[in-house]
Amino acid sequence: MLTDQELVAAFKGGDAEALGALMERHKAAVYGYLLRLTGRPDAADDIFQEVWLKLVRRPGAYGEREKFSAWLFTVARNAAMDHFRREGSRSALFSQEGVAAPADDDAAPGPLETAVSPEPGPHETLENKALGEKISAALERLSPEQREVFYLRHYSELSFKEIAELLGLPIGTVLARMSRAAALLRKELEKKPQ
Amino acid sequence: MNCGYGEKLILYFYGELAGELKAGVERHLETCAACRGELAALEAAQGWLKASAAEPPAAAVAAVLAQARAAGGAAVFGFRTWGEALLAGALTALLAVGFSLPGRGTSPGLAWNSGLDSGLDSVEYSIDKAQADMAVAQSDWDDSYGLLEAESAQEV
Repeated sequence: MLTDQELVAAFKGGDAEALGALMERHKAAVYGYLLRLTGRPDAADDIFQEVWLKLVRRPGAYGEREKFSAWLFTVARNAAMDHFRREGSRSALFSQEGVAAPADDDAAPGPLETAVSPEPGPHETLENKALGEKISAALERLSPEQREVFYLRHYSELSFKEIAELLGLPIGTVLARMSRAAALLRKELEKKPQ
Repeated sequence: MNCGYGEKLILYFYGELAGELKAGVERHLETCAACRGELAALEAAQGWLKASAAEPPAAAVAAVLAQARAAGGAAVFGFRTWGEALLAGALTALLAVGFSLPGRGTSPGLAWNSGLDSGLDSVEYSIDKAQADMAVAQSDWDDSYGLLEAESAQEV
């Protein structure tokens, strides 16, 4: 299987189908990331095309010594930020006020430890649907900075070191955001239904 | 959570810890319910994101590929622009001239390490110069393209 760098080189050499292979490899991750950032499918579609067209129009913009996915997600993030600036609006990413990290209190085992089953049976479907809604709401409770790191790590699969470089932040800051996000997610997910 | 394992736990969850650090986190997890709870929360969130993954619309992918094919179709013998093609032609001509230069004091027996070397130096210089010229021309073209795009966007 060709590497990303080899596919970009082939594309630069005039092989348009190499771009198809690259897109096949990365399209779901980039689109998923943009969808989470914007919260709007129409905006995600536009930015998704904009990101890839940058490579089509200026293939030299990607320096082949760089990891392709790092470049791709940098372009995606920048394009999303440009989009928000053009629209003069805040993204889904920044639409919620962040909440403080949970207090370092309860050390007792929470219900989540036993509630999440990696391979749920049919009888667990309803429970998992409710859990999905809870997770969605919990992610919305993260601060914009925590969400940004969380989504980048999930979709790009870049290391935290690479994410720190992408965001221009010290790795300690990135990890601290993720750690607070994890603590908040736990707190939200372990809340008893009211 | 005051156990001090917050960041190490994150690295552990995402598979970025190895060796003794990883083993240390695993030992800690046996006694820290808060950390186990955070791992479970991360796992649940990750599982949910995976389960609700979305594919881009086929039309969006097709639109990009159509432009890529159009750009490829516009290539001149594999080059993306006429400018690149012309510069490559110039480079080829320079190479031809370089190889046709007579070697100084060349004898048939020394052809590979005397006059030909000198000719190759000249060719190398010509290649470097042509490559630099090509980079400048490409940069100019990119700038012009950017300006055209900006103007076009303003008109729209």
